[in-house]
Amino acid sequence: MIQFDQVSKRYEGGHEALSQLSFAVPTGEMAFVTGHSGAGKSTLLKLLGLIERPSHGTISVDGKNLAKIRHSGVPKWRRHIGMVFQDHRLLMDRSVFANVELPLAIGGIARAERARRVRAALEKVGLLAYERQLPATLSAGEQQRVGIARAIVARPGLLIADEPTGNLDPQLAVEIMGLFGEFQQVGTTVLIASHDLPLIKRMKKRVIVLDHGRLVADLAAQEVL
Amino acid sequence: MNASSESLHAPADAAPRNAHSRGSRFGSWREHHGWSAASSLRRLASRPFGSLLTISVMGLALALPLAFYLLLGNVQKLGDALGRSQAISVFLQPGQAAPQAQLLATQLADRAELAAVVVKTPQQGMDELARMQGFSGALQTLDDNPLPYVLQLQPRAGASAQALEQLVADVRGMHGVDMVQDSGSWRKRLDALLGVGNRAALVLASLLALAALLVVGNTVRVDIASRSEEIGVLLLVGASGAFVRRPYLYAGIWYGLFSGILAALLAVLIEFALAAPVAQLSQAYDGKLQVGGLPLWLLLAVPLAAAALGWLGARLVSAWQLRKAA
Repeated sequence: MIQFDQVSKRYEGGHEALSQLSFAVPTGEMAFVTGHSGAGKSTLLKLLGLIERPSHGTISVDGKNLAKIRHSGVPKWRRHIGMVFQDHRLLMDRSVFANVELPLAIGGIARAERARRVRAALEKVGLLAYERQLPATLSAGEQQRVGIARAIVARPGLLIADEPTGNLDPQLAVEIMGLFGEFQQVGTTVLIASHDLPLIKRMKKRVIVLDHGRLVADLAAQEVL
Repeated sequence: MNASSESLHAPADAAPRNAHSRGSRFGSWREHHGWSAASSLRRLASRPFGSLLTISVMGLALALPLAFYLLLGNVQKLGDALGRSQAISVFLQPGQAAPQAQLLATQLADRAELAAVVVKTPQQGMDELARMQGFSGALQTLDDNPLPYVLQLQPRAGASAQALEQLVADVRGMHGVDMVQDSGSWRKRLDALLGVGNRAALVLASLLALAALLVVGNTVRVDIASRSEEIGVLLLVGASGAFVRRPYLYAGIWYGLFSGILAALLAVLIEFALAAPVAQLSQAYDGKLQVGGLPLWLLLAVPLAAAALGWLGARLVSAWQLRKAA
Protein backbone atom coordinates (compact mmCIF):
# COMPACT_ATOMS: atom_id res chain seq x y z
CA MET A 1 0.00 0.00 0.00
CA ILE A 2 1.27 3.43 -0.95
CA GLN A 3 0.17 6.05 1.55
CA PHE A 4 0.62 9.80 1.08
CA ASP A 5 -0.33 11.74 4.22
CA GLN A 6 -0.44 15.55 4.00
CA VAL A 7 2.60 15.56 1.74
CA SER A 8 3.96 18.87 0.50
CA LYS A 9 7.03 19.57 -1.57
CA ARG A 10 8.50 23.03 -1.87
CA TYR A 11 11.60 23.41 -4.04
CA GLU A 12 14.41 25.81 -3.35
CA GLY A 13 13.25 29.14 -4.68
CA GLY A 14 9.81 28.72 -3.18
CA HIS A 15 7.89 26.83 -5.87
CA GLU A 16 5.42 24.49 -4.20
CA ALA A 17 5.07 21.43 -6.43
CA LEU A 18 2.81 19.45 -4.09
CA SER A 19 0.55 20.77 -1.38
CA GLN A 20 -0.90 18.70 1.45
CA LEU A 21 -1.47 15.68 -0.74
CA SER A 22 -3.17 12.68 0.86
CA PHE A 23 -4.21 9.47 -0.87
CA ALA A 24 -3.60 5.73 -0.70
CA VAL A 25 -3.04 3.12 -3.40
CA PRO A 26 -3.62 -0.47 -2.22
CA THR A 27 -1.07 -3.16 -3.05
CA GLY A 28 -1.61 -4.60 -6.49
CA GLU A 29 -3.62 -1.67 -7.79
CA MET A 30 -2.88 0.27 -10.95
CA ALA A 31 -3.53 4.01 -10.86
CA PHE A 32 -2.87 6.96 -13.10
CA VAL A 33 -1.74 10.35 -11.85
CA THR A 34 -2.77 13.04 -14.25
CA GLY A 35 -2.98 16.80 -14.52
CA HIS A 36 -1.65 19.59 -16.65
CA SER A 37 2.02 20.31 -17.04
CA GLY A 38 3.45 21.44 -13.69
CA ALA A 39 0.62 19.85 -11.71
CA GLY A 40 3.11 17.85 -9.65
CA LYS A 41 2.85 14.41 -11.30
CA SER A 42 6.57 13.92 -11.76
CA THR A 43 7.35 15.29 -8.30
CA LEU A 44 4.99 12.73 -6.80
CA LEU A 45 6.86 9.89 -8.52
CA LYS A 46 10.23 11.40 -7.59
CA LEU A 47 9.19 11.33 -3.94
CA LEU A 48 8.40 7.63 -4.25
CA GLY A 49 11.76 6.95 -5.88
CA LEU A 50 13.52 9.05 -3.22
CA ILE A 51 14.88 11.28 -5.94
CA GLU A 52 13.33 14.09 -3.91
CA ARG A 53 12.27 14.27 -0.27
CA PRO A 54 9.01 15.85 0.91
CA SER A 55 9.10 19.19 2.71
CA HIS A 56 6.22 18.12 4.94
CA GLY A 57 4.07 15.06 5.49
CA THR A 58 4.67 11.33 5.44
CA ILE A 59 4.97 8.82 2.63
CA SER A 60 4.87 5.14 3.45
CA VAL A 61 5.02 2.09 1.24
CA ASP A 62 3.86 -1.23 2.70
CA GLY A 63 4.11 0.36 6.14
CA LYS A 64 7.67 1.60 5.62
CA ASN A 65 8.07 5.32 6.27
CA LEU A 66 10.27 6.60 3.44
CA ALA A 67 11.51 9.49 5.60
CA LYS A 68 13.34 6.93 7.73
CA ILE A 69 15.39 5.70 4.79
CA ARG A 70 18.77 7.39 5.08
CA HIS A 71 20.84 8.56 2.14
CA SER A 72 22.91 5.37 2.33
CA GLY A 73 19.73 3.28 2.15
CA VAL A 74 18.40 4.92 -1.02
CA PRO A 75 20.08 2.50 -3.49
CA LYS A 76 18.59 -0.48 -1.67
CA TRP A 77 15.16 1.14 -1.73
CA ARG A 78 15.42 1.83 -5.45
CA ARG A 79 16.23 -1.83 -6.05
CA HIS A 80 12.81 -2.65 -4.67
CA ILE A 81 10.93 -0.46 -7.10
CA GLY A 82 10.89 -0.31 -10.87
CA MET A 83 11.07 3.06 -12.60
CA VAL A 84 10.17 3.84 -16.21
CA PHE A 85 10.91 7.22 -17.73
CA GLN A 86 9.59 9.11 -20.74
CA ASP A 87 13.11 9.41 -22.15
CA HIS A 88 13.85 5.72 -21.41
CA ARG A 89 17.19 6.48 -19.68
CA LEU A 90 18.99 3.61 -21.41
CA LEU A 91 22.75 3.20 -21.64
CA MET A 92 23.31 3.64 -25.35
CA ASP A 93 26.75 2.02 -25.42
CA ARG A 94 25.48 -1.22 -23.92
CA SER A 95 23.36 -3.90 -25.52
CA VAL A 96 19.66 -4.35 -24.83
CA PHE A 97 20.56 -7.38 -22.73
CA ALA A 98 23.13 -5.43 -20.67
CA ASN A 99 20.63 -2.63 -20.08
CA VAL A 100 17.97 -4.97 -18.79
CA GLU A 101 20.54 -6.90 -16.77
CA LEU A 102 21.66 -3.78 -14.89
CA PRO A 103 19.34 -3.95 -11.84
CA LEU A 104 20.18 -7.63 -11.38
CA ALA A 105 23.93 -7.04 -11.64
CA ILE A 106 23.60 -4.22 -9.12
CA GLY A 107 21.53 -6.46 -6.88
CA GLY A 108 24.22 -9.15 -6.87
CA ILE A 109 22.23 -11.83 -8.72
CA ALA A 110 24.32 -14.71 -10.08
CA ARG A 111 25.13 -14.63 -13.79
CA ALA A 112 23.04 -17.66 -14.81
CA GLU A 113 20.01 -16.42 -12.92
CA ARG A 114 20.48 -12.98 -14.44
CA ALA A 115 20.49 -14.38 -17.94
CA ARG A 116 17.34 -16.37 -17.25
CA ARG A 117 15.49 -13.40 -15.83
CA VAL A 118 16.66 -10.94 -18.48
CA ARG A 119 15.48 -13.25 -21.27
CA ALA A 120 12.15 -13.74 -19.51
CA ALA A 121 11.73 -9.94 -19.22
CA LEU A 122 12.70 -9.37 -22.85
CA GLU A 123 10.33 -12.09 -23.98
CA LYS A 124 7.60 -10.45 -21.95
CA VAL A 125 8.05 -7.14 -23.79
CA GLY A 126 8.56 -8.88 -27.14
CA LEU A 127 12.22 -7.98 -27.61
CA LEU A 128 14.03 -11.25 -27.05
CA ALA A 129 15.32 -11.23 -30.63
CA TYR A 130 16.93 -7.83 -30.05
CA GLU A 131 18.98 -8.70 -26.97
CA ARG A 132 22.35 -8.18 -28.64
CA GLN A 133 21.45 -4.91 -30.36
CA LEU A 134 22.31 -1.47 -29.11
CA PRO A 135 19.32 0.64 -28.02
CA ALA A 136 20.08 3.25 -30.70
CA THR A 137 19.16 0.74 -33.38
CA LEU A 138 15.63 0.35 -31.94
CA SER A 139 12.55 2.51 -32.45
CA ALA A 140 11.26 4.78 -29.66
CA GLY A 141 8.57 2.26 -28.75
CA GLU A 142 11.09 -0.57 -28.62
CA GLN A 143 13.41 1.52 -26.49
CA GLN A 144 10.57 2.18 -24.09
CA ARG A 145 9.89 -1.54 -23.91
CA VAL A 146 13.56 -2.09 -23.04
CA GLY A 147 13.09 0.47 -20.26
CA ILE A 148 10.04 -1.45 -19.03
CA ALA A 149 11.91 -4.76 -19.16
CA ARG A 150 14.66 -3.19 -17.06
CA ALA A 151 12.09 -1.91 -14.57
CA ILE A 152 10.38 -5.27 -14.10
CA VAL A 153 13.35 -7.63 -14.34
CA ALA A 154 14.10 -7.48 -10.60
CA ARG A 155 10.44 -8.31 -9.88
CA PRO A 156 9.66 -5.07 -8.03
CA GLY A 157 6.61 -4.79 -5.84
CA LEU A 158 6.06 -1.25 -7.06
CA LEU A 159 6.35 -0.01 -10.62
CA ILE A 160 6.29 3.74 -11.26
CA ALA A 161 6.31 5.29 -14.70
CA ASP A 162 6.66 8.94 -15.64
CA GLU A 163 4.94 9.68 -18.96
CA PRO A 164 5.94 6.30 -20.37
CA THR A 165 4.03 6.85 -23.60
CA GLY A 166 4.88 10.51 -24.04
CA ASN A 167 6.92 10.01 -27.21
CA LEU A 168 4.95 7.12 -28.71
CA ASP A 169 2.23 6.95 -31.32
CA PRO A 170 -1.26 6.04 -30.02
CA GLN A 171 -1.12 2.39 -31.10
CA LEU A 172 2.23 1.83 -29.38
CA ALA A 173 1.03 3.73 -26.32
CA VAL A 174 -1.90 1.33 -25.96
CA GLU A 175 0.47 -1.64 -26.23
CA ILE A 176 2.77 -0.22 -23.55
CA MET A 177 -0.15 0.50 -21.22
CA GLY A 178 -1.37 -3.05 -21.83
CA LEU A 179 1.99 -4.29 -20.57
CA PHE A 180 1.63 -2.28 -17.37
CA GLY A 181 -1.85 -3.78 -16.97
CA GLU A 182 -0.36 -7.26 -17.20
CA PHE A 183 2.12 -6.51 -14.44
CA GLN A 184 -0.69 -5.22 -12.21
CA GLN A 185 -2.60 -8.44 -12.80
CA VAL A 186 0.22 -10.46 -11.23
CA GLY A 187 0.27 -8.36 -8.08
CA THR A 188 2.57 -5.44 -8.85
CA THR A 189 1.39 -2.02 -7.71
CA VAL A 190 1.59 0.30 -10.71
CA LEU A 191 1.54 4.09 -10.58
CA ILE A 192 1.74 5.96 -13.88
CA ALA A 193 2.02 9.70 -14.41
CA SER A 194 0.46 10.69 -17.71
CA HIS A 195 -1.34 13.62 -19.28
CA ASP A 196 -2.77 11.49 -22.11
CA LEU A 197 -6.45 11.60 -21.09
CA PRO A 198 -7.83 9.55 -24.00
CA LEU A 199 -5.40 6.78 -23.18
CA ILE A 200 -6.17 6.97 -19.46
CA LYS A 201 -9.89 6.72 -20.18
CA ARG A 202 -9.29 3.74 -22.40
CA MET A 203 -7.41 1.87 -19.65
CA LYS A 204 -10.29 2.17 -17.18
CA LYS A 205 -8.14 2.34 -14.04
CA ARG A 206 -8.18 4.59 -11.01
CA VAL A 207 -7.20 8.19 -11.79
CA ILE A 208 -5.72 10.71 -9.35
CA VAL A 209 -6.00 14.23 -10.71
CA LEU A 210 -3.63 16.95 -9.58
CA ASP A 211 -3.80 20.68 -10.17
CA HIS A 212 -1.05 23.01 -8.99
CA GLY A 213 0.13 20.32 -6.59
CA ARG A 214 -3.25 19.71 -5.01
CA LEU A 215 -5.45 16.66 -5.29
CA VAL A 216 -8.58 17.80 -7.13
CA ALA A 217 -10.13 14.43 -7.99
CA ASP A 218 -9.63 10.77 -7.16
CA LEU A 219 -11.71 8.68 -9.52
CA ALA A 220 -12.26 4.95 -9.13
CA ALA A 221 -11.96 2.81 -12.27
CA GLN A 222 -15.73 2.63 -12.75
CA GLU A 223 -15.98 6.42 -12.51
CA VAL A 224 -13.65 6.97 -15.45
CA LEU A 225 -15.70 7.76 -18.52
CA MET B 1 4.77 -9.10 -26.84
CA ASN B 2 4.32 -12.46 -25.27
CA ALA B 3 2.05 -12.61 -22.29
CA SER B 4 2.51 -16.36 -21.88
CA SER B 5 6.26 -16.20 -21.33
CA GLU B 6 7.90 -17.53 -18.17
CA SER B 7 6.47 -15.70 -15.22
CA LEU B 8 8.42 -12.66 -14.18
CA HIS B 9 6.62 -12.50 -10.93
CA ALA B 10 7.01 -14.57 -7.84
CA PRO B 11 3.80 -15.64 -6.12
CA ALA B 12 2.83 -13.65 -3.07
CA ASP B 13 4.04 -16.34 -0.65
CA ALA B 14 7.35 -16.87 -2.39
CA ALA B 15 10.72 -15.80 -1.01
CA PRO B 16 11.60 -12.07 -1.23
CA ARG B 17 11.82 -10.91 -4.79
CA ASN B 18 15.53 -10.30 -4.81
CA ALA B 19 16.49 -13.08 -2.44
CA HIS B 20 19.84 -14.64 -3.28
CA SER B 21 22.62 -16.34 -1.39
CA ARG B 22 25.65 -14.63 0.11
CA GLY B 23 27.75 -16.78 -2.21
CA SER B 24 26.04 -15.50 -5.33
CA ARG B 25 26.34 -11.93 -4.04
CA PHE B 26 30.09 -12.41 -3.51
CA GLY B 27 30.42 -14.02 -6.93
CA SER B 28 28.56 -11.12 -8.49
CA TRP B 29 30.71 -8.61 -6.58
CA ARG B 30 33.85 -10.35 -7.82
CA GLU B 31 32.45 -10.43 -11.32
CA HIS B 32 31.76 -6.71 -11.21
CA HIS B 33 35.34 -6.09 -10.09
CA GLY B 34 36.54 -8.07 -13.09
CA TRP B 35 34.18 -6.22 -15.40
CA SER B 36 35.19 -2.83 -13.96
CA ALA B 37 38.90 -3.61 -14.34
CA ALA B 38 38.46 -4.79 -17.92
CA SER B 39 36.06 -2.05 -19.02
CA SER B 40 38.20 0.73 -17.54
CA LEU B 41 41.22 -0.71 -19.33
CA ARG B 42 39.24 -0.80 -22.58
CA ARG B 43 38.25 2.83 -22.08
CA LEU B 44 41.92 3.76 -21.62
CA ALA B 45 42.77 1.87 -24.79
CA SER B 46 39.91 3.50 -26.69
CA ARG B 47 41.53 6.93 -26.15
CA PRO B 48 45.18 6.06 -26.74
CA PHE B 49 46.43 9.63 -27.20
CA GLY B 50 44.78 11.05 -24.09
CA SER B 51 45.69 8.03 -21.99
CA LEU B 52 49.31 8.09 -23.14
CA LEU B 53 49.51 11.79 -22.41
CA THR B 54 48.20 11.32 -18.87
CA ILE B 55 50.45 8.32 -18.24
CA SER B 56 53.48 10.17 -19.64
CA VAL B 57 52.91 13.24 -17.48
CA MET B 58 52.49 11.08 -14.39
CA GLY B 59 55.41 8.85 -15.35
CA LEU B 60 57.74 11.82 -15.76
CA ALA B 61 56.54 13.32 -12.49
CA LEU B 62 57.33 10.05 -10.71
CA ALA B 63 60.64 9.50 -12.55
CA LEU B 64 62.09 12.83 -11.39
CA PRO B 65 62.32 11.95 -7.70
CA LEU B 66 63.66 8.53 -8.68
CA ALA B 67 66.44 10.17 -10.69
CA PHE B 68 67.15 12.47 -7.78
CA TYR B 69 67.24 9.50 -5.42
CA LEU B 70 69.63 7.70 -7.77
CA LEU B 71 71.89 10.74 -7.91
CA LEU B 72 71.92 11.25 -4.14
CA GLY B 73 72.54 7.58 -3.47
CA ASN B 74 75.55 7.64 -5.73
CA VAL B 75 76.92 10.87 -4.30
CA GLN B 76 76.64 9.23 -0.89
CA LYS B 77 78.54 6.18 -2.15
CA LEU B 78 81.11 8.44 -3.74
CA GLY B 79 81.53 10.20 -0.43
CA ASP B 80 81.89 6.87 1.36
CA ALA B 81 84.49 5.68 -1.11
CA LEU B 82 86.48 8.88 -0.93
CA GLY B 83 86.15 8.97 2.82
CA ARG B 84 87.56 5.48 3.09
CA SER B 85 90.50 6.18 0.80
CA GLN B 86 91.42 9.58 2.23
CA ALA B 87 91.13 9.28 5.97
CA ILE B 88 93.44 11.85 7.65
CA SER B 89 96.74 12.36 5.88
CA VAL B 90 99.63 13.85 7.85
CA PHE B 91 102.41 15.17 5.60
CA LEU B 92 105.71 15.44 7.41
CA GLN B 93 108.14 18.23 6.68
CA PRO B 94 110.57 17.46 3.84
CA GLY B 95 113.73 16.02 5.21
CA GLN B 96 112.10 14.15 8.07
CA ALA B 97 113.55 10.67 8.11
CA ALA B 98 112.03 7.27 8.79
CA PRO B 99 112.81 7.22 12.55
CA GLN B 100 110.96 10.52 13.11
CA ALA B 101 108.03 9.26 11.06
CA GLN B 102 107.96 6.03 13.05
CA LEU B 103 108.16 7.95 16.34
CA LEU B 104 105.19 10.13 15.40
CA ALA B 105 103.24 7.07 14.25
CA THR B 106 103.89 5.36 17.59
CA GLN B 107 102.73 8.44 19.49
CA LEU B 108 99.56 8.71 17.41
CA ALA B 109 98.74 4.99 17.55
CA ASP B 110 98.05 5.45 21.26
CA ARG B 111 95.22 7.90 20.54
CA ALA B 112 91.81 6.41 21.30
CA GLU B 113 90.20 8.09 18.26
CA LEU B 114 92.37 6.15 15.84
CA ALA B 115 91.98 2.61 14.60
CA ALA B 116 95.24 2.48 12.66
CA VAL B 117 98.24 4.55 11.69
CA VAL B 118 100.07 3.66 8.53
CA VAL B 119 103.42 5.12 7.54
CA LYS B 120 103.83 5.74 3.85
CA THR B 121 107.36 6.21 2.65
CA PRO B 122 108.25 8.70 -0.09
CA GLN B 123 108.97 5.71 -2.33
CA GLN B 124 105.51 4.26 -1.73
CA GLY B 125 104.06 7.64 -2.58
CA MET B 126 106.08 7.73 -5.76
CA ASP B 127 104.92 4.23 -6.70
CA GLU B 128 101.27 5.22 -6.23
CA LEU B 129 101.74 8.25 -8.43
CA ALA B 130 103.42 6.12 -11.06
CA ARG B 131 100.38 3.85 -11.17
CA MET B 132 98.04 6.77 -11.87
CA GLN B 133 97.41 7.52 -15.51
CA GLY B 134 99.49 10.25 -17.07
CA PHE B 135 101.99 10.60 -14.25
CA SER B 136 104.55 7.94 -15.07
CA GLY B 137 106.19 10.00 -17.83
CA ALA B 138 106.45 13.10 -15.68
CA LEU B 139 107.93 11.20 -12.74
CA GLN B 140 110.74 9.83 -14.89
CA THR B 141 112.02 13.37 -15.38
CA LEU B 142 112.59 13.86 -11.62
CA ASP B 143 116.16 13.53 -10.34
CA ASP B 144 115.16 12.63 -6.81
CA ASN B 145 112.01 11.88 -4.83
CA PRO B 146 110.47 15.14 -3.54
CA LEU B 147 107.69 13.41 -1.59
CA PRO B 148 107.67 13.51 2.22
CA TYR B 149 106.77 10.77 4.65
CA VAL B 150 103.02 10.58 5.12
CA LEU B 151 101.13 9.16 8.07
CA GLN B 152 97.69 7.88 7.22
CA LEU B 153 95.41 8.01 10.21
CA GLN B 154 92.35 5.81 10.05
CA PRO B 155 89.71 7.10 12.49
CA ARG B 156 88.08 4.52 14.72
CA ALA B 157 84.48 3.71 13.75
CA GLY B 158 82.16 5.81 15.85
CA ALA B 159 84.77 8.41 16.73
CA SER B 160 83.01 11.73 17.20
CA ALA B 161 83.59 14.57 14.77
CA GLN B 162 84.59 16.77 17.70
CA ALA B 163 87.25 14.31 18.89
CA LEU B 164 88.63 14.04 15.37
CA GLU B 165 88.73 17.81 15.01
CA GLN B 166 90.72 17.98 18.26
CA LEU B 167 93.03 15.22 17.00
CA VAL B 168 93.67 17.14 13.78
CA ALA B 169 94.43 20.31 15.79
CA ASP B 170 96.82 18.36 18.03
CA VAL B 171 98.61 16.76 15.07
CA ARG B 172 99.01 20.11 13.37
CA GLY B 173 100.91 21.31 16.46
CA MET B 174 103.29 18.34 16.56
CA HIS B 175 106.94 18.79 15.76
CA GLY B 176 107.91 17.80 12.20
CA VAL B 177 104.37 17.99 10.79
CA ASP B 178 104.08 20.08 7.64
CA MET B 179 100.43 19.72 6.70
CA VAL B 180 97.31 17.78 7.74
CA GLN B 181 94.71 16.91 5.16
CA ASP B 182 91.47 16.13 6.94
CA SER B 183 88.81 14.41 4.87
CA GLY B 184 86.47 14.70 7.87
CA SER B 185 85.73 18.37 7.31
CA TRP B 186 84.75 18.00 3.69
CA ARG B 187 82.92 14.80 4.59
CA LYS B 188 80.94 16.77 7.16
CA ARG B 189 80.09 19.35 4.54
CA LEU B 190 79.16 16.62 2.08
CA ASP B 191 76.95 14.95 4.67
CA ALA B 192 75.23 18.28 5.34
CA LEU B 193 74.74 18.77 1.61
CA LEU B 194 73.40 15.25 1.29
CA GLY B 195 71.02 15.98 4.15
CA VAL B 196 69.74 19.03 2.27
CA GLY B 197 69.54 16.95 -0.90
CA ASN B 198 67.63 14.17 0.84
CA ARG B 199 65.15 16.62 2.29
CA ALA B 200 64.81 18.33 -1.08
CA ALA B 201 64.23 14.93 -2.70
CA LEU B 202 61.54 14.15 -0.14
CA VAL B 203 59.82 17.49 -0.72
CA LEU B 204 60.15 17.09 -4.49
CA ALA B 205 58.80 13.54 -4.33
CA SER B 206 55.85 14.68 -2.21
CA LEU B 207 55.05 17.57 -4.53
CA LEU B 208 55.34 15.44 -7.65
CA ALA B 209 53.26 12.67 -6.05
CA LEU B 210 50.65 15.33 -5.32
CA ALA B 211 50.89 16.46 -8.94
CA ALA B 212 50.37 12.86 -10.09
CA LEU B 213 47.41 12.58 -7.74
CA LEU B 214 45.89 15.74 -9.23
CA VAL B 215 46.51 14.53 -12.78
CA VAL B 216 44.66 11.27 -12.08
CA GLY B 217 41.97 13.13 -10.19
CA ASN B 218 41.39 15.55 -13.03
CA THR B 219 41.37 12.79 -15.65
CA VAL B 220 38.82 10.81 -13.65
CA ARG B 221 36.79 13.98 -13.04
CA VAL B 222 36.57 14.62 -16.77
CA ASP B 223 35.69 10.97 -17.34
CA ILE B 224 32.91 11.10 -14.75
CA ALA B 225 31.59 14.38 -16.16
CA SER B 226 31.44 12.86 -19.64
CA ARG B 227 29.47 9.91 -18.28
CA SER B 228 27.12 11.79 -15.99
CA GLU B 229 24.04 10.46 -17.81
CA GLU B 230 25.16 6.88 -17.34
CA ILE B 231 25.88 7.53 -13.68
CA GLY B 232 22.43 9.05 -13.29
CA VAL B 233 20.85 5.93 -14.77
CA LEU B 234 22.89 3.64 -12.54
CA LEU B 235 21.87 5.59 -9.45
CA LEU B 236 18.21 5.50 -10.50
CA VAL B 237 18.18 1.73 -10.85
CA GLY B 238 19.67 1.30 -7.40
CA ALA B 239 23.42 1.25 -7.85
CA SER B 240 25.36 2.05 -4.71
CA GLY B 241 28.16 4.62 -4.68
CA ALA B 242 30.72 1.80 -4.53
CA PHE B 243 29.22 0.12 -7.60
CA VAL B 244 29.23 3.35 -9.62
CA ARG B 245 32.72 4.31 -8.44
CA ARG B 246 34.38 0.98 -9.13
CA PRO B 247 35.28 1.45 -12.84
CA TYR B 248 36.73 4.89 -12.08
CA LEU B 249 38.83 3.51 -9.25
CA TYR B 250 40.21 0.88 -11.59
CA ALA B 251 40.93 3.61 -14.15
CA GLY B 252 42.93 5.42 -11.45
CA ILE B 253 44.78 2.20 -10.64
CA TRP B 254 45.62 1.61 -14.32
CA TYR B 255 46.86 5.18 -14.81
CA GLY B 256 49.00 4.87 -11.67
CA LEU B 257 50.33 1.41 -12.50
CA PHE B 258 51.31 2.27 -16.08
CA SER B 259 52.87 5.58 -15.09
CA GLY B 260 54.77 3.79 -12.30
CA ILE B 261 56.09 1.25 -14.81
CA LEU B 262 57.07 4.13 -17.12
CA ALA B 263 58.82 5.92 -14.24
CA ALA B 264 60.75 2.75 -13.33
CA LEU B 265 61.75 2.26 -16.98
CA LEU B 266 62.89 5.88 -17.22
CA ALA B 267 64.95 5.42 -14.06
CA VAL B 268 66.60 2.34 -15.56
CA LEU B 269 67.28 4.32 -18.76
CA ILE B 270 68.90 7.06 -16.69
CA GLU B 271 71.06 4.40 -15.03
CA PHE B 272 72.12 3.12 -18.45
CA ALA B 273 72.83 6.63 -19.66
CA LEU B 274 75.08 7.24 -16.64
CA ALA B 275 76.78 3.84 -16.79
CA ALA B 276 79.68 4.84 -19.09
CA PRO B 277 80.77 8.07 -17.32
CA VAL B 278 80.36 6.38 -13.95
CA ALA B 279 82.55 3.49 -15.05
CA GLN B 280 85.22 6.03 -16.05
CA LEU B 281 84.93 7.70 -12.67
CA SER B 282 85.24 4.36 -10.93
CA GLN B 283 88.31 3.53 -12.97
CA ALA B 284 89.89 6.80 -11.86
CA TYR B 285 89.59 5.53 -8.28
CA ASP B 286 91.15 2.17 -9.11
CA GLY B 287 87.73 0.54 -9.14
CA LYS B 288 87.27 1.35 -5.45
CA LEU B 289 84.22 3.41 -6.25
CA GLN B 290 81.18 1.16 -6.23
CA VAL B 291 78.44 3.15 -7.95
CA GLY B 292 75.06 1.47 -7.92
CA GLY B 293 71.63 1.78 -9.50
CA LEU B 294 68.20 1.72 -7.95
CA PRO B 295 67.48 -1.42 -5.95
CA LEU B 296 65.11 -3.94 -7.51
CA TRP B 297 62.64 -3.66 -4.65
CA LEU B 298 62.30 0.06 -5.34
CA LEU B 299 61.76 -0.49 -9.06
CA LEU B 300 59.00 -2.97 -8.20
CA ALA B 301 57.54 -0.81 -5.45
CA VAL B 302 57.24 2.30 -7.64
CA PRO B 303 54.47 0.92 -9.92
CA LEU B 304 52.60 -0.45 -6.91
CA ALA B 305 52.88 2.82 -5.00
CA ALA B 306 51.85 4.72 -8.14
CA ALA B 307 48.83 2.42 -8.54
CA ALA B 308 47.85 3.19 -4.94
CA LEU B 309 48.32 6.88 -5.68
CA GLY B 310 46.08 6.57 -8.76
CA TRP B 311 43.45 4.77 -6.73
CA LEU B 312 43.56 7.49 -4.08
CA GLY B 313 43.20 10.29 -6.65
CA ALA B 314 40.28 8.53 -8.31
CA ARG B 315 38.69 7.73 -4.96
CA LEU B 316 38.81 11.34 -3.75
CA VAL B 317 37.46 12.81 -6.96
CA SER B 318 34.81 10.15 -7.60
CA ALA B 319 33.46 10.44 -4.05
CA TRP B 320 33.17 14.19 -4.49
CA GLN B 321 31.66 13.98 -7.99
CA LEU B 322 29.16 11.28 -7.05
CA ARG B 323 28.04 13.22 -4.00
CA LYS B 324 27.16 16.02 -6.39
CA ALA B 325 25.42 13.60 -8.80
CA ALA B 326 23.37 11.99 -6.02
